[in-house]
Amino acid sequence: MTLRNTVLGAVALTMLAGVASAQDAVKIGYSIANTGLFSQAAPSQVTAYELWAEQVNAEGGLEVAGEKRPVELIWYDDESDPAKAAQIYEKLISDDEVDLLLAPWGTPHHLNVAGVVESHGFPMVGNTAASVAIREVSPGNVWFPTSAIPDKVGPELAAFAKSEGIGSVAILANVLPFAQENLQFLLPALEEQGIEVKMNENYPPDISDMTSLLAQVKASGADAVIALSYPADSFLYMGQAKELGIDQPFQFLLVGPTISAFQGAFGADADGIVTLGHWSPHQADWERAKPFYDAYVAKYGFAPDYLDSALAYMSAEILEAAVAQAGLDHEKLRDVISTSTFDTINGPVRFDGVENVETPTAFLQLQGGEMHLIWPGDIATSEYQNR
Amino acid sequence: MTVLRSDLAFFAGLAILAGFGLSVGSLFGTYWVIVALNFAMWIALTQSWALFSGLTGYISLGNVVFYGLGAYTVAVSFKVLPLWVAVPMGGLVAAVFALMIAVPALRVRGPYFVILTFGISELVKYSILNLETYLGKSSRLLFGAPSAEAVLYTMIALAVASSVLMRLVKSSTFGRGLVAIQGDETSAETVGIPVTRFKVMGFTLSAFIPGMVGGLMALRSTYFEVLQVFNPFISFTIVTMAIIGGSNDARGPILGAAFLVFLSELLWSSAPRLYMILLGAFLIAFVLLAPSGLVGLLRKYGEGHSK
Repeated sequence: MTLRNTVLGAVALTMLAGVASAQDAVKIGYSIANTGLFSQAAPSQVTAYELWAEQVNAEGGLEVAGEKRPVELIWYDDESDPAKAAQIYEKLISDDEVDLLLAPWGTPHHLNVAGVVESHGFPMVGNTAASVAIREVSPGNVWFPTSAIPDKVGPELAAFAKSEGIGSVAILANVLPFAQENLQFLLPALEEQGIEVKMNENYPPDISDMTSLLAQVKASGADAVIALSYPADSFLYMGQAKELGIDQPFQFLLVGPTISAFQGAFGADADGIVTLGHWSPHQADWERAKPFYDAYVAKYGFAPDYLDSALAYMSAEILEAAVAQAGLDHEKLRDVISTSTFDTINGPVRFDGVENVETPTAFLQLQGGEMHLIWPGDIATSEYQNR
Repeated sequence: MTVLRSDLAFFAGLAILAGFGLSVGSLFGTYWVIVALNFAMWIALTQSWALFSGLTGYISLGNVVFYGLGAYTVAVSFKVLPLWVAVPMGGLVAAVFALMIAVPALRVRGPYFVILTFGISELVKYSILNLETYLGKSSRLLFGAPSAEAVLYTMIALAVASSVLMRLVKSSTFGRGLVAIQGDETSAETVGIPVTRFKVMGFTLSAFIPGMVGGLMALRSTYFEVLQVFNPFISFTIVTMAIIGGSNDARGPILGAAFLVFLSELLWSSAPRLYMILLGAFLIAFVLLAPSGLVGLLRKYGEGHSK
């Protein structure tokens, strides 16, 4: 009896839910690393998606070729497992029959999902993937708005360091793919700029103590420290570098400082840290940048991740603009995304093949609690300052 | 006579299951191909684990090392060797590795063996991670792999092969020798069972199919990453399935895999955390209340009826 009541109740609820969303909601699916190894990184992306959906719905819905329809996000936890993500996109496409897709978190997930969406001819604008490997994805189905691709980051970082008068560097690198790929392109670029590498050490992904490495950094007497780090080890570096009195004026951390928790954890101690990132709300030429920042802070009470939140929001903006023009037809969408120029919070974005060819590879510096673009000069929002 | 009839029932059941797996794509669509693939994969892995650990009682907590080595072999040789060479070679690499570590590893028993196997799999994982870093290969891409259906068909063949192998070994002299080792290794040796040779053979044999499984699964990921294919969670899942299903009978791993795949399919999208909680609860319940797993319960039920 109770069981039957429960079942009936569930059926009734499902039907009610069906009625409520029957107003032809546009279903948008994605998977996210809600649990597991990358669960710390995923919220940056989800918050941006949810903010975007809320904004779109507040304005009456997503414009689908002239008609406004509400959006409904459908997501599943991929447990940080790229194979699971591929399975989820298969389900989203063939089982849930979503109208549009947003991207999962991270390079391995993107590349695994690329195979699935490609086989269905389903367009997906990527975001948080950065690797030279993305160029091996056949163009026309998945696009990558990031400009933080290692073969560009290496030469730009070396050129930037040179322009600030750096003569020698000490390098620490996580053995995980993104860090190693950056290292691979950084080393020849440093040599080309005539910058001496005084130390170059790898460390494991689950490192819990960096003191011996940092002692070597200190002993090296290099002008600059370049730590090719992931978020967890960026936190570790920052804490231990302070204890050991690492005082190089130029300190670069690869991934981590763009997260507001990083700035929150270290406050003024983190001032002057340079990191990878191509977006800042302070760039007045990008009209949508500041409003996004303000809306994000208003909704969540902390700043967006300058890298992942910005990229996730950009990918949604691109999708929104493309759908307004092409509707939901996959073929038309692919065509529009491949050929149009999009106005985003990061300025104009245009794809050539899978790659964004408008946004320059850039670096950010924490200055008085604010993240400023300091390189390259034409989009910089502030001058580089020694730490 | 009864043995023959139960054999017949087992092989008929296996054939029906395999036939169903082969047609799942045309019946239910692509998503279910992947579910069937997972199911077949877990059968092949758990069956191979049971072949050695289930029969001898040497509990290995590091079987992912065979899977990972197979996957690595295929990833490294992708587009260099044809897949019909690369995948069996993955199995061979895993088997040779098992043979190499068998002699030292099998000298220890009980909890020491459990920890040793786990340690070896972690050691291999980090060694390969560092090797890849040294080679400047931070990631490997496998574009243009065969379709999910093609991988599924091969995987079903491996699931069937591992099940048949388990069944055959169990009823052979070799298999009875392995079971005797579980009972009392010293006595087994006294009555003339070549204990060391059987252990080494069993361990090596149990590595071959998981190596091929790993090789096949590498083809399902466009992006090959070391940490992913050597994920210890795979070893844990194998042991959980073996405990829940029962591991001294070829039906056990099939039941265990079916149970967990079904449970996970039911819950992962709606209540992923509940799945993990239930998993823990079931594991404890089976260890305490039904140590021979679902297959043990089945046997008990059968005996009750025949009385």
